[in-house]
Amino acid sequence: MKWLRRVAWGVLLLVGLCALAAPAIAPYPYDRQFRDAPAAPPGGRFPMGTDEVGRDRLSRLIYATRVSAMLAPAAAAVSIVLALLIAGAAGGRDGLAGHALSGFTTICLSLPWIFLFIILRAQLPLNTGPLASVLLTFGLMGVAGWAWPARVFGASIRQMRQSGWLMQARAAGVAGWRIAAVQAWPHLRTLAVAQFRVLVPAYILSEASLGLLGLGVADPLPSWGNLLQDLQHPDVVKENPWVLAPLGLLMIVMICLEALQPSREAAL
Amino acid sequence: MALCGTQWNENSGAAGGIGFSLPGRAEFACSSTARGYARTKLMKAAFAGRLAVSLVSLILVVVVGGFVAAALVRFSPGFDIDENVWNPKIGAATLAAMHAQRERGNQLPRFYLHYLRAALRGDLGESDALKTPVTELLRDRAPVTARLIGWGTAGGLLLGALFAWLAVWPRRPGLTVLSVSASGLLLAIPPAVLALAFFFNEAPLGLAVALALMPRVFGTLRALLDNLYSSPALLAARARGVGPGALAMRYVLGPALPQLIALAGVALVLAFGAIIPIEALCDVPGIGQLAWKAALARDMPLLCGLGLIVTFMVAAVQSLGDLVR
Repeated sequence: MKWLRRVAWGVLLLVGLCALAAPAIAPYPYDRQFRDAPAAPPGGRFPMGTDEVGRDRLSRLIYATRVSAMLAPAAAAVSIVLALLIAGAAGGRDGLAGHALSGFTTICLSLPWIFLFIILRAQLPLNTGPLASVLLTFGLMGVAGWAWPARVFGASIRQMRQSGWLMQARAAGVAGWRIAAVQAWPHLRTLAVAQFRVLVPAYILSEASLGLLGLGVADPLPSWGNLLQDLQHPDVVKENPWVLAPLGLLMIVMICLEALQPSREAAL
Repeated sequence: MALCGTQWNENSGAAGGIGFSLPGRAEFACSSTARGYARTKLMKAAFAGRLAVSLVSLILVVVVGGFVAAALVRFSPGFDIDENVWNPKIGAATLAAMHAQRERGNQLPRFYLHYLRAALRGDLGESDALKTPVTELLRDRAPVTARLIGWGTAGGLLLGALFAWLAVWPRRPGLTVLSVSASGLLLAIPPAVLALAFFFNEAPLGLAVALALMPRVFGTLRALLDNLYSSPALLAARARGVGPGALAMRYVLGPALPQLIALAGVALVLAFGAIIPIEALCDVPGIGQLAWKAALARDMPLLCGLGLIVTFMVAAVQSLGDLVR
């Protein structure tokens, strides 16, 4: 299914380019209000119409892609770095400290992720500016999502500690940081990439759910999550089916990311 | 063991003989009984070990989870505000004494011990926003959530198993592509959107939870079925002409049962994650909606009490799954 992977890469590249070039390709700024055209239908001036306060839907979708599709990988990277640090600290130690860290990972895994997120989010101010809300949403996702990759890395590190090459390196007096950077990292890199590929779609979906709940990115900054809030009004969906465009784009990106997962490739 | 040795000598006829002799039937019987006994003993010991580890981890969940919950409640915004400060009838000296007493009680270690002691008695404090005991709120809403999660988990596992079976058993590429694509498509839809579609069309929300869960268990079930269907025992039984029903019961469901129970534990956790947006958006008065309202109202006592209970329940289910496995 090489063609499927190529198509998926092509679509993701196109979406990524649109997201990066948002200020250049969006017809209007995302927060510009056209008071003369609230809830306007699609037409020449507004290809996807306007929302109920008169903002161009197409421009908001392009900027939302920038927020959701660009920051989910950043949050996934934060989770991976945290997981590597915690698993490295737990896997590199024997005795109580190692067991304590491993136990803490298990406890964090016991709590449904979204629950952990809303507890942490409630601890912080809810009425924040758009930029702060973006940083809080994706930052907290990154911080709260370390446990699963940490368990995977921890298992790999424990296995590595039993390996002959690592014992030989330690016996030869190679420094710990050098073992980690030169010897262990090449082994962990593949795992880190695989975990990253799992986390990115998970975070995109989570942001969408949180945005629908009003706990994600704050208006006027658009994200796929807060654009989906229109779906709570079926009459709006019936009158203007273009409000489904963010959902369509989200699903296309998710399907492409799924198609690039090694497990999915093997399944087909 | 001594008894076994005697029996061997008596039955094999090799007593006092030198060299090699074939063991008698009794020796086989005896050694296999001994081996079986030893195996049972080992299994019991392993089970006891796993039970002990599960109990210790559950206690740890309560202790650590309780600490985190207490710390979050203690440092939540507005916790230190004392309404008595605005009461003109209370004198400055009394206020200072009350403040000092409150400060002592609010030191984290003391607060934690108090919180944990109360939690162990079933008292998780009172909701700031609803002014109702957290336990009472949980008692009222738990049945709604339990029903939704129960139907959703059962439906998700059944659908996942059906699609996994379609992908593995008939060995038709078209069916494999169909089931993998259906799972991929469902995975691409946020559970909340799926629930909204069901809600507006007045369809059962349990089915929405099941559809949200299905793609998340499909991969594991497919791998499990793939392994079992290509196992030598099943292939041999198939070659002997054993019917599909008997094959499924004896060679698939039986061996897969422990993994299925463990997977059900994981599915419960996933279902709980999915019901928060579903209950919140579809106006279902369950624990998920309560958690969402608590988050919006920054009601930390309620949120942390819920968190502690949910963590304990999930850890208990996971431990049960591990024990069965």
